[in-house]
Amino acid sequence: MKITILGPGCPRCHEVEKRTVNALAELGVAADVEKVSDIKRIMEFNILGTPGLVIDGKVVCSGKIPRLEEIKAWIRQAAG
Amino acid sequence: MDIVGEALRLLQGGLGNLAAYLAAHVLLCLVPAFFIAGAMTALIPKESVTRFLGRSAPKYVSYPAAALAGSVLSVCSCTIVPLFAGIYRKGAGLGPAITFLFFAPAANILALVYTGGLIGTDLAFARLFLSLLFGISIGMIMALIFRRSDAAHDQNGDAMFAGKATLKRASLAFLIVLAALLLSGTLKIGLLTDSYGKITLPLSGLDRFQAFLSRIVPVDAAKGQEGVSVQGAILIGLLFLIAASAWRGLGKISEGFNRWTWVSLGLVVLTLLAAAAGMTAHPGGLDILFTGKMLGVVLSTALLAVIALKRLTPDEVRDFLWESWRFIKQIFPLLVVGVFAVGIIRELIRPEWIKALAGRNTLLGNMAGMLFGVFMYFPTLVEVPIAKMFLSLGMHRGPLLAYLMADPELSLQSILMISAIIGKAKAWVYVFWVALFSAVAGLIYGALEDGASVWTIALYLLVFLAFLAVGLWRMSARNGSWSAAPLATQEKADKELVQG
Repeated sequence: MKITILGPGCPRCHEVEKRTVNALAELGVAADVEKVSDIKRIMEFNILGTPGLVIDGKVVCSGKIPRLEEIKAWIRQAAG
Repeated sequence: MDIVGEALRLLQGGLGNLAAYLAAHVLLCLVPAFFIAGAMTALIPKESVTRFLGRSAPKYVSYPAAALAGSVLSVCSCTIVPLFAGIYRKGAGLGPAITFLFFAPAANILALVYTGGLIGTDLAFARLFLSLLFGISIGMIMALIFRRSDAAHDQNGDAMFAGKATLKRASLAFLIVLAALLLSGTLKIGLLTDSYGKITLPLSGLDRFQAFLSRIVPVDAAKGQEGVSVQGAILIGLLFLIAASAWRGLGKISEGFNRWTWVSLGLVVLTLLAAAAGMTAHPGGLDILFTGKMLGVVLSTALLAVIALKRLTPDEVRDFLWESWRFIKQIFPLLVVGVFAVGIIRELIRPEWIKALAGRNTLLGNMAGMLFGVFMYFPTLVEVPIAKMFLSLGMHRGPLLAYLMADPELSLQSILMISAIIGKAKAWVYVFWVALFSAVAGLIYGALEDGASVWTIALYLLVFLAFLAVGLWRMSARNGSWSAAPLATQEKADKELVQG
């Protein structure tokens, strides 16, 4: 599984990263977590606002900080 | 030897400025403002505002909506550029996107409240009104200049602002009560500032404490230095307590409420009450006056608690507290460092320099204010204490406004980021217009301050607009040969949108 976190380096994006790593740990799932902070590359994902969370190439959430339970649900679905 | 003495004097200047600032200005305006900013970020869905920015929206909807979105959605400068990229990419026209980019940093709620509280309501209103006017004008000018590529961009952009999310009524009520809390603390009307009761705490020695405070932080009106009162010292103490408890109470809120959450929220309310009360120290003890402000704080915080517990979901409350704490953690240290630095710089700059350069409302003075704003970069909100320093050193309010308009909009860093999104040519044209409009804003406002009649100003404005119109008309006449084609493609695109 490949997880990408989109954000130019603001605290909200760090929070998403933190929660994603926690979700992976709690589920015991292994994944490549990549952080994209280049604004041009972020724009390629066509999202309205940062932070964005992309799982296996699909944008699951953008413009807000998802809850831990939400992230877990998306990971389970993708692993699934 | 002399160097050590000089360094000590500078250090004292910085610390004194910081203490006076924390005691006098932060609490009643900044604390509620941080919570409002947090509530806006957490409770307003972005789509509820940005869906009005699509190219299918008429101009009289999309431009005001862009300005509104700017002031509501992005409370700190780091979120503006990504959001700008987002709405531009999602198919907003260049015009509304530019309006958003211009208006957001100048007129977001934190900046306005802070300008009003620290420098004066008149300047805050001038900042709001002129940046609204200019934001929309610059957006329209940019759309006119680059209309060919804008039409091409329209075809590439995503057609949809599909989100249908709306603002919950409870969230709206929550925001309104927060605004009421802010207003009851800052408005200076008799009903709120009058006191309705008095108790005296029999604490001896407070008058000596006050004398001690006045000695370490001297009052110097000529340099704009304010002293620290006993009340101020109490408030600074409470701030430290909040910081200590909020670290655990609000920083870890995403894992759920804990005991520290309640402790820190209680301390915030206590601090607001202490700041709203009137306190005078005398040899017999400490008089505490119950003011109308205090009543306002009690009523609005009680109402907030009711709404938060009964109408909002626990998740929403958690998001709200997390976002508020994030703003405080992110912006407050910058302010502390900035204010400290301002205190030091004030010792070094001679008032005569500022007076000679920008003491009167001249073209040169406004250009100086504007250039300083464009080329200096200060973190969010730090421009306000810096402006306050210039004011107390003798800067005229006109050039001051020119500086305040230009500084948050432009810095070398933001110019580079913007040019990565819309291209170098557009970015530099944008910079040029912002610089021009800032200087003009300063001139107009300064003339008004100097007592010029409204008609003279209207005449100036008319001449300026006439120049603009002629310039733009000539430009479009020269490029007229190709302007018909993109319009046709745009109509086609619109039709496709309707059919799709």
